Amino acid sequence: MSATTLDAPAPQTHDHHAHHEEPGFFKKYLWTYDHKMIALQYLWTALAFLLLGGALALGVRWQLGFPGAEFPLIGRLLPETVAVDGSIIPGGYNMLVTMHATVMVFFVVMPLLIGVFGNYLIPLQIGAGDMAFPLLNELSYWLYVLSGVFLLAAFFMPGGAPGTGWTAYAPLSSVGAYNGTPLGQSLWGIAIFINGLSSIAGATNYITTVVNMRAPGMSMFRMPLPVWSLFITAILLLLAVPVLSAAAAMLFADLNFGTSFFSPAGGGQPLLWQHLFWFFGHPEVYIMILPAMGLTSEILATHSRKPIFGYKAMVYAMVAIGFLGFIVWGHHMFVSGMNLTLSAAFSISTMVIAVPSAIKTFNWMGTVWRGSIEFTTAMCFALAFVSMFVIGGLSGIFMASTPVDLFVHHTYFIVAHFHYVLFGGSIFAIYGALYFWFPKMFGKMLNETLGKWHFFATLVFFNLTFFPMHNLGLGGMMRRIADPTVYEHLRQLQPLNVLCTIGAIGLGFSTFLFLWNVVVSLRSGKQAPNNPWESNTLEWTIPSPPGHGNFATTPTVYHGPYEYSVPGMDKDYLPQNEPAPSTARLESH
Amino acid sequence: MSTAALTHDSHNGHAGAPPATAKFGMIMFLISEGMLFAGLLGGYFVLRWSESGFPWQPGYAWPRGEGLPQLPVLLTTINTVFLLASSVTFHMSEVAVNKGKSGLSWLAATIFLGSLFVGIQCYEWWHLHHEGLWFNTGGTYGSSFFLITGFHGLHVAIGVLLIVWCFLRQALTRCFTPVHHTALANVALYWHFVDGVWLVVLTLLYYV
Ligand code: HEM
Ligand SMILES: [Cu+2]
Repeated sequence: MSATTLDAPAPQTHDHHAHHEEPGFFKKYLWTYDHKMIALQYLWTALAFLLLGGALALGVRWQLGFPGAEFPLIGRLLPETVAVDGSIIPGGYNMLVTMHATVMVFFVVMPLLIGVFGNYLIPLQIGAGDMAFPLLNELSYWLYVLSGVFLLAAFFMPGGAPGTGWTAYAPLSSVGAYNGTPLGQSLWGIAIFINGLSSIAGATNYITTVVNMRAPGMSMFRMPLPVWSLFITAILLLLAVPVLSAAAAMLFADLNFGTSFFSPAGGGQPLLWQHLFWFFGHPEVYIMILPAMGLTSEILATHSRKPIFGYKAMVYAMVAIGFLGFIVWGHHMFVSGMNLTLSAAFSISTMVIAVPSAIKTFNWMGTVWRGSIEFTTAMCFALAFVSMFVIGGLSGIFMASTPVDLFVHHTYFIVAHFHYVLFGGSIFAIYGALYFWFPKMFGKMLNETLGKWHFFATLVFFNLTFFPMHNLGLGGMMRRIADPTVYEHLRQLQPLNVLCTIGAIGLGFSTFLFLWNVVVSLRSGKQAPNNPWESNTLEWTIPSPPGHGNFATTPTVYHGPYEYSVPGMDKDYLPQNEPAPSTARLESH
Repeated sequence: MSTAALTHDSHNGHAGAPPATAKFGMIMFLISEGMLFAGLLGGYFVLRWSESGFPWQPGYAWPRGEGLPQLPVLLTTINTVFLLASSVTFHMSEVAVNKGKSGLSWLAATIFLGSLFVGIQCYEWWHLHHEGLWFNTGGTYGSSFFLITGFHGLHVAIGVLLIVWCFLRQALTRCFTPVHHTALANVALYWHFVDGVWLVVLTLLYYV
């Protein structure tokens, strides 16, 4: 592993491609071994799921804002398990909530962060020609698609889609007579299992690639932070996802083979599900935020024209978050009947995670501090990521305290929390990263004016949608109720619910600004140069988009990735494959 | 592990990853497999934990329900010997290949022993089913036993198929040589792993 050497290999020219024919449509777009094309496959599929997940969310918000009113436009197209005469029924509401969350977590955020940026950036940023196992990589994509087919099929089953929430708590989920949707719930289990196979295939590939395929000179501590974050994420995936697969298998067996893992009647324990689920579930939330942190770090440094503040601290903080993430799962179960000492232990370990999270936040601030900031759309999203993540992180610390959580558990306060970290965090980072790397992916710049519209609309409507949920939660509104107006104590809060719904509709429309931007820019956007942001990492040293095989000759790396505004140099950046002039005073070694 | 510059040339689907890389990848995959079994066995352990008298108190050993059959411990122990022997024979085939021989007879022995293990497990399932123990009888006893041995048996069966694939490739093309036998080495890793898991399953399900 340590055999990184500075000796440049003899330049190898890229001639063997001369006798390659241009692959046909099938080989180029559908069954490809090129990590860049696989990343784009993930991108288009996940964006389609984003629209679907968003539509499901609008159904949820519509029902909460205007309970019982006909869902405009698509209400009458919905299956009758979800809506009757165009208005959403309580059981259907549960299905919408469940499918929205499952789609967003497993089919949007994970594929976008890991499938898209993991695939695209890892080989390019470490100077490799592809992933270690290209076939496995493509297999992982198609397993993802297959799992999506199983999940969506649930809508068309007798009984309909599962309605037990993305957490699928037993025994509601594990006894067909309770949930009324044994088929839909079984398909959910199958989808989760296959999706897990896809994740494991990807994770195996990423870890192997990072460890074995770095270009000469690319030591671990010269790796760009996106690569570090995806590397750590892959390790979390490898360890956490199989446990969910095991739980899904037990759930499936309970539903279909009559086993009694989760049913007390046969000696099983409903709590077992919660432990298995959250043993996966908490690492999962870090799986969904670590890559976002890595991508953001890259954008902040480049657009502040400054080295990342505390590069090594950033790496160690991610390692710490990854490790601690495995010993805090009990904070989701404070009210599930837990020994008080254990509860205190989980409370403390959870609060400890705030330390590395804060290290990262302060380092981001240190990075932009007195930088010459370029307010590109990517940078706006990156800055918004930091701000929104702080809000979500702070509410997290509230809930980490058992006495507080007893009060706010299962209320909209939690819903506000995780949307600040998942939308304000992960999705903002994804948007920022798409604006940043789109030029590399497609050879076209995204339109900046439309981009700013998209950014401000998203920021405003996001906060309009989710900030009031803090108040709703503290006011006592529970999660997963189909009609808040039937509760006496919630009636006075209804105007806030309407406000959230209006925000959500705006947020839905702001997504189309982005899609419109993509379409317009792909058709007639400005041609992207190799290095539009004057950034340092290796992907910017080759054409946009890079050709098959990435690097014409294997690059050699001479220093770390964040050498911006180096004293003693003429230009304010220094690509990793350029040796520094002798006058330069570098940050890294 | 070498980080030699393996960029575009070797990795466009023309050739497989170099042996060290492939082995590393296999180990990563096996770690995740280990977590799958850790999840299943951990769940089982939690369920057993709440039973009174767990572990080691003879009067309390599973099964606790009336009229439920005992697991055939002796037969399974003998079967375990077959499985462990198959790990040895697989290793011998690698040794033979390293010496430049074909290793085919050792591979055949491994396939035989592996199939024997699967066969006896199938018989055990059939027998227990016959005696009234199944997924849906005997509470968590039946649930755990069939799900866990089912998952493990599936892994062994896949392993046997992989070894058959190695055997056919070697028999037809002699592709495994002392310098190059990546696929064989990785299937061996998988096989030893599945054997190792079996020892844990055996101990937890049959012995305590
Ligand atoms: C400073 C860091 C964080 C702390 C201290 C924290 C703490 C918590 C706690 C205590 C809960 C359980 C509340 C309850 O159900 O009563 C919770 C729920 C949740 N958190 Fe966090 N969190 C943090 C960061 C994150 C991040 C980064 C994400 C995702 C990217 C996230 C996603 C979630 C989700 C999805 C839930 C709700 C799960 C559900 O019940 O459906 N959290 N968080
Ligand atoms: Cu958590």
